[in-house]
Amino acid sequence: MSLRICNFPFHPKFALQPRAQRSTRIFARTENDSPQQQQQLNLSVLRFTFGIPGLDESYLPRWIGYGFGSLLLLNHFSASAPISESQMRSEALGLSLASFSIALPYIGKFLKGSVVEQRTLPEEGEQIFVISSNIGDSLKEDLAWATYVLLRNTSTIAVLILVQGELCVRGYWNCPDQMSKAQLHDWFKKKVDEIGLADVKDTLYFPQYAGSALSWDILPDGTRSLFMQPLVQNISEPQKVNGFLLVASTAGYAYSDKDRAWIGAMAEKFRG
Amino acid sequence: MEIGSFFLLNGQLFHLLSLTSLATTSSMEARIILQIQIPWNPNRKFSRTPSDFPRFIRAYSSSSSTSQKPRSYRGPKPSKNLVADFISKNDDLVRSLPIYVGGASLLAVLFNRTVSGIAPVADASSSQSRADLLALGLAVTNLLTGLVWLSIRPKSITPVQPDGVEWKVVESGLPASVVSELLWAWESFKVATCCKSLVIVYNGICLIQIGMVAESPEDKKAVVVNTDKLMQGSVYRGVMKSKAQSYLANLSLYPGRSELPFLPANTQAVILQPLGDKGIAVIGGNTIRGFTSADQAWISSIGEKLDATLGRYFIDSDEISRVTV
Repeated sequence: MSLRICNFPFHPKFALQPRAQRSTRIFARTENDSPQQQQQLNLSVLRFTFGIPGLDESYLPRWIGYGFGSLLLLNHFSASAPISESQMRSEALGLSLASFSIALPYIGKFLKGSVVEQRTLPEEGEQIFVISSNIGDSLKEDLAWATYVLLRNTSTIAVLILVQGELCVRGYWNCPDQMSKAQLHDWFKKKVDEIGLADVKDTLYFPQYAGSALSWDILPDGTRSLFMQPLVQNISEPQKVNGFLLVASTAGYAYSDKDRAWIGAMAEKFRG
Repeated sequence: MEIGSFFLLNGQLFHLLSLTSLATTSSMEARIILQIQIPWNPNRKFSRTPSDFPRFIRAYSSSSSTSQKPRSYRGPKPSKNLVADFISKNDDLVRSLPIYVGGASLLAVLFNRTVSGIAPVADASSSQSRADLLALGLAVTNLLTGLVWLSIRPKSITPVQPDGVEWKVVESGLPASVVSELLWAWESFKVATCCKSLVIVYNGICLIQIGMVAESPEDKKAVVVNTDKLMQGSVYRGVMKSKAQSYLANLSLYPGRSELPFLPANTQAVILQPLGDKGIAVIGGNTIRGFTSADQAWISSIGEKLDATLGRYFIDSDEISRVTV
């Protein structure tokens, strides 16, 4: 067990001294193209951690809940009869506390400031970049830039943009290998038509996409979040949809309100 | 993650794309020729099913056909997550909930002991004590988790209404595509971040000044950007020299504030984004530390895009002016 100054200030581990408030902050961010790097060290909270790499202590209440709950049951069934009423009361209290502890990490995920899961790249399959050849150069450049930025700035692993009936697909998709670009383009077009994505009128957000419920086999394995934004032709006619923008990620709850606002802003670029 | 090289310099992207499209069309032609020569054995050379063969021919015609009415959407609709909504709305309450639960159960265990007449001795001898100990352990877990959640509560800072006037000035003579790109950038910043003012200066010209603008006290009119003065100031020069985005999270602490007189006086945070080496975007926000690191990443990406677009326009217009002269 060791004391370690944590780099991720909002990772809910057991705090040793929650009151140690020091407001010094050295702010940091890595920019891909800038040589300057500044560190963000939030020194105001010290974290208690076991120091085992890869162990996620935010789930500790859940494990303790399972462990103590099972011990309670063990205790109950191995106790010699009769079990007193006060013991029943304690056990009831203990079991309800255990179930509450098990639910704690799930609740903590929705609090402000909770850390978002990192995306994991699919092991198999490779990235594709397919763009229709029927569109003008400026639109091609915009599409290429937009897909690149979406892949870089959010935890997206797969992007699909349909605008004016033409597709731009980028990232990890579950498509057949050995197809040429034009074939892939048509294949995606066919799949999109099957699902009927071009007809969606509102934004869709599936933060916990369960692969069995949806039959979208074009999405890569391990997709956990999905966000879809239709491109509305004209603000005054919200029913007339000109295309859509689809992003998928392997992290659950990957798209916060802010991410969705930015993705909506990117979709605005292709309107009209 | 290898996303692949991405060139956003004037026209290099186009070349990259045209090469790939050339390669695919030539390979497709080659395949069609091969298939015409051995029409009775379409399976020999390719692992695809014969049904793919007619698709080759169809591929050319379908891409040029007009889009039919799209099939109706048959996927699932997203369900509302009541728990998530409740928690997001009642953040403070939920944060302190585990503490109350843990504390209350601690007291309940002791109360139970006293009420049932057993001495409150914490040993593991009887099964009652063991059950009590386990319940105590869980209560402590909840208590500690509640303390952790309270300690990491982000400080909520109220936005400050900027005092100034609404203003929208776009340099005349710019082509519609450039203007729409600038306005798109403004709309994105306005919607997704706490940005309330935007000024873009490129190639020595103030291209756009939009949003809330400081009101000059003498004549009650908006303060227009003095481009020369801005470009000679230390703020501009510093950003140009470092070629990196500069985030002034609390503008009142920054001495170079006086060089940005066009921003409302109570602008709380400013991002200075260099656009290549020829321009700068000044983005003013209404909350201290209001721009998150995600915002900064997005703003720098949009800055690169604006630089590419504006750079191309200005190079073209330079060439045109050189040709006409």
